[in-house]
Amino acid sequence: MDFAYMKLVLPLYEKAAVLTLKTGLEGIVFATLAGLVCAVVLYEKVPVLRQLVMGYIEISRNTPLLVQLFFIYYGLPKAGIVFSAETCGVAGIAFLGGSYMAEAFRSGLENVAAVQRESAYSLGMGRLQTMRYVTGPQAAAASIPAFLANVIFLLKETSVFSAVSLMDLMFTAKDLIGLYYKTTESLFLLVIFYLLILLPVSLIGAAAERRLQYAGSGT
Amino acid sequence: MEKIKRILIPLLALALSGCLAGCKNTKDTYRTLEEIKKDGTINIGVFSDKNPFGYVDENGNYRGYDVYFAERLAEDLGVKVNYVSTEAANRTEYLQTGKVDVILANFTVTDERKEEVDFALPYMNVALGVVSKNDRIVRCLDELGTDDAVIVISGTTAETYLIKNYPDIPLQKFDSYATAKEAFENGTAVAWANDNTEVIAFAMQNKGYTVGITELGSSDTIAPAVTRGNTTLLEWINKEIKKLGKEQFFHKNYDETLADTYGEEFKETLVVEGGKTD
Repeated sequence: MDFAYMKLVLPLYEKAAVLTLKTGLEGIVFATLAGLVCAVVLYEKVPVLRQLVMGYIEISRNTPLLVQLFFIYYGLPKAGIVFSAETCGVAGIAFLGGSYMAEAFRSGLENVAAVQRESAYSLGMGRLQTMRYVTGPQAAAASIPAFLANVIFLLKETSVFSAVSLMDLMFTAKDLIGLYYKTTESLFLLVIFYLLILLPVSLIGAAAERRLQYAGSGT
Repeated sequence: MEKIKRILIPLLALALSGCLAGCKNTKDTYRTLEEIKKDGTINIGVFSDKNPFGYVDENGNYRGYDVYFAERLAEDLGVKVNYVSTEAANRTEYLQTGKVDVILANFTVTDERKEEVDFALPYMNVALGVVSKNDRIVRCLDELGTDDAVIVISGTTAETYLIKNYPDIPLQKFDSYATAKEAFENGTAVAWANDNTEVIAFAMQNKGYTVGITELGSSDTIAPAVTRGNTTLLEWINKEIKKLGKEQFFHKNYDETLADTYGEEFKETLVVEGGKTD
C-alpha cells in the first residue's frame, strides 16, 4: 500500500464523498416527499391520480437508474431541456426512490389494522385527522425499516453517476485508477469511504427503529 | 463495546484481505505465447465505441484500425480472437488482471504507463487535439475561463495532460466515448480534448465543429501493450510488426479502415510502418 499516494488523493475522495452525500440526500428528500404523496394517493384510492401513480411506480421500479439518468441527461436536451449533471443526479435518485418510498409507506399504512381507522371515523374524526393522529404514526413506525433500507439502497445507487460525468465516489476511484494505476489503494479508499457514509446511516437507522417502536400499536 | 467489536472485526478482516489481494504479484496473471497457442484463442482488448479505430458495426462485428491489426495478429498466430470491450480507464487494469492478453485500444505510450505495462513497437502516431463548436472555436487553451468546461474521457492522455498543465480548467469527465460525444453534441461543454485523431474524425463526421487545436502537448505513439513481463508475447508481436512493415500492412490498414474518414491527407502523419518512427 502506497500511503503517500493515499494521502495525496484523500481530498479528492472527500470531495467525492460530499458530492455523493449531497446529491444522494437531496434525491432522497425529494423521493420521500414523492413517496408520501404517492402512498397516500394509493391508500386513499384517489381516482385518476391513483392510476397515474401506479404507472409511475411501475416505470420507475422496472427501469435501472442508469437508464433513467441517460434519459434525463442525454435524452431531454434533445427536447431542449438541459439540466446540470448534479441536478440530473438528484432527479434520477428522486425518480427512482419515489416509487420505492411509496411502496414502503403504503405497506406501512396497510399494516395498520382496519379497525383503527374505522374506530377513528366512528369517533367523528375526519380523513385528515385520522391520517394525522391514528393511522399516520402507526404507519410511520411500521415503515421505518423499509424506509431506511431504501435510504441505504439509494445512497449506493449513486455509484452509477459516472454515466453523467458526476464525480461521485465510484467514478473518482475509477478515474484515479486510470490516472495513477494504484488500483489497490484506490479501491481500498473507496470501500472505506462508502462504509464511512453508510455505517452511520445504518446505526442511526437501528436507533431510530428502536425509538419509534413504541408508536406501534399495542406493543 | 460488544457492538463496536462486531463492526470493527469484519472491517479489519476486510482491510487485511484487501491488502493481501493487492500485495499479490502480477507475475502469474498473464499467459505466455505458448499458452495462448495451446488454448487456441487470444483475448484482445479493444474499444467498442471509438469509430474508426475500434467500434462495433451495425452487424455486431468489431471493426476499425486497431481491430484490423488484431485480426491479423490472431491469424498469424494461428488462433481465434476473442474481443474484450474496454473503456479507456480500464486498459492497464485489464492487462494486470489477465483479462486480456493484448490491449489494442489506441493505447498511447507514456512513461507512466510503461511502469505498468509493456509496450510493443508503435503502429500509429498521435498527439492531442481540441475540438469545439463553430460559434466559439477554441484555438488556445489559455483563452478558456474557469467556468468553461472541457470534456475529457477518464483515463486518457488528454485528461492527464490537462490536469498537469491546466489545473484550473474544469473538466467534465466521462467513462466512454459514446457518452462523451453525446454530451458534447448536447452542448454541455465548450470543447472536447482527446487524441487528435479522434477529434479530427469527430469534426469530419459532424457538421458545425472545428478542431481549433490540432497539436497539443508532445507527439506520441500508439502501440500494442501486454502484461508487464510477458516477454514471449511481446517479442513475438515486435517481430510481427517488423514483418508486417515489409508488406506495408499499416498503409493497407489505413486504406481499409481510416481513409473513409480522413482521406489520403493524414496517411503519412498517422501510420507508423514496421515500428519505425522518424
